Amino acid sequence: MGTRVLIAEDEPHIVESLSFVLDRDGFDVTAELDGESAFARLRVDPPDVMILDLMLPRLNGFEVLKRIKSDPALRAIPVVVLTAKGQAHDRRLAEDLGVDAFMTKPFSNQELVECVRRLARK
Amino acid sequence: MTQSKLAATLGISASYLNLIELNKRSIGGALLKRVASVLGMSLDELDGAAGRRLLDDLHALAADPRLAGLGLDATGVHDLAGRHPAWARALLVLQRSLVDRDGAVAALSDRLGQDPHLNEIIHDVRSRIAAIRSSSEILESVDDLEPRQRQRFVAIIGDESARLSDLAQALGEFFEPARTPMRSLTPAEEVDDFLFDHDNHFPALEDAADALRGTLPLDGDLDAGAVTQPRATQRFLAARAAVLRFGDGRVLQAEVDAAPRLTSDAARKLAHRALSSYLAAALLMPYAAFLAAAERTRYDIEALCQQFGVSYEQTCHRLVTLRRPGAEGIPFGFMRTDPAGFVTKRFPLPNLLLPRRGNACPLWAAYTAFQAPGAIQRQLAAFPTGDRYLFVACAIEKPRPAFPMPRRLVSVMLACHALHADRTVYGDALDLSSSAPWVPVGPNCQLCVRGDCAYREEAAIIDR
Repeated sequence: MGTRVLIAEDEPHIVESLSFVLDRDGFDVTAELDGESAFARLRVDPPDVMILDLMLPRLNGFEVLKRIKSDPALRAIPVVVLTAKGQAHDRRLAEDLGVDAFMTKPFSNQELVECVRRLARK
Repeated sequence: MTQSKLAATLGISASYLNLIELNKRSIGGALLKRVASVLGMSLDELDGAAGRRLLDDLHALAADPRLAGLGLDATGVHDLAGRHPAWARALLVLQRSLVDRDGAVAALSDRLGQDPHLNEIIHDVRSRIAAIRSSSEILESVDDLEPRQRQRFVAIIGDESARLSDLAQALGEFFEPARTPMRSLTPAEEVDDFLFDHDNHFPALEDAADALRGTLPLDGDLDAGAVTQPRATQRFLAARAAVLRFGDGRVLQAEVDAAPRLTSDAARKLAHRALSSYLAAALLMPYAAFLAAAERTRYDIEALCQQFGVSYEQTCHRLVTLRRPGAEGIPFGFMRTDPAGFVTKRFPLPNLLLPRRGNACPLWAAYTAFQAPGAIQRQLAAFPTGDRYLFVACAIEKPRPAFPMPRRLVSVMLACHALHADRTVYGDALDLSSSAPWVPVGPNCQLCVRGDCAYREEAAIIDR
């Protein structure tokens, strides 16, 4: 089984292209379209890496990140934030909460794949 | 009509009329009526009320910090109003329009940064471009795409491009009424920006405090004249005096000299004073010990006051300086306001707008704290942008100059992002989840988009 990646992203087209690219690179990809479902899935089936959007319905990405990084059983899961909220204070807040990598939209597929690969090796 | 002819018509001397015109003699009764009749003016225009308002307005104009150094004195104000009232009024019209323009420009500039509609458009644009870019990279770089897959990613690009066109249209409409933002700065605003550039943390001053601590007789060197001041204030003043006296003026001056932000002597003087307070606070509240105590007490301000022998306000100030890379406390914003709403100190958070002049939202805890002086108010505040903050405010009493004067209260407020609230005692027993009821606040009425707010005192600058 390949490295398992969980995508939490509410833009279906981004989920589709990301899933295609990661799948081609041998990753085992699942996706959720809102924060609450993503966190619920992560708890029962922890991935090797999580790709997390910040502006998610039901539970926003900052809150998902905070829950992951404050739970001793989950905090080792590397999280890359992939967001259109690219302002310095968003990055700072995500870093304060313990994010492992921060990428802003629009992004390059290749850079994202490399980032996920790097985090999976950690 | 010449002055001498008017004097002759009225039956008074030209020199007496001159004194009346210069507002150095009062006029009333029959003489006033005769002047009105001869000049064809109403009594209202001549009874002095309009003139007094003109004088008051000119005095206020002369006190504008932008005109400091031009030598505008009270004699000149009287001469101008007496000899050239029309020119004086013209000056005031121009000044008012300048103040209005400054206010509108500053508010528009702030609004652009805070507007939820604009933020949403930008967020959407980035998301659409992300989808287009990702799909086009697949089409470009994957040689063995099946026709069905190729068709699918082409369709995504088409779909997202159409949505992007709509967003471009919305963006154009948004900017139509706006103008290029400019900002005119007062010395106090320059100092605010200088502190903000440094994240309100000065490593050289922290080092100076560590070097000086223990060599200064902070508790035994108090001014006997200050016995009526609270103990914490005495200690702080002694620390500040010691900092200046013991020659570390050089460290302070170096920070000020290295700041291109500070463009005037007034701004440099204010910055020097602010930094001397910073250094005094760093002496009394050593960084590492204070941060450790803050974390241990979960940022309990009163517990920290007792442990370090400092005042409530000094403690709040110090909490805002805990930004040493690698040893940071909770990022706090700070605001101090008087009961009239005048903001006397501010340190904003990156996305939390604190007013440069005038009022913030009347619902903020900084203002509601005046309803119960001495009691700490905590508030979970939700902004129209979706950002949420914990506000902790207390109206504290300052010494009043003499008995018949009113009590002197100022409200001191700390603000931190909601996501840090559970690290403080002030978040205890509060429902901090995003679905909990929060107080719906705004930045201030001019910038707020909440049209149905019962507390609105002023129309929004951009009505949407």
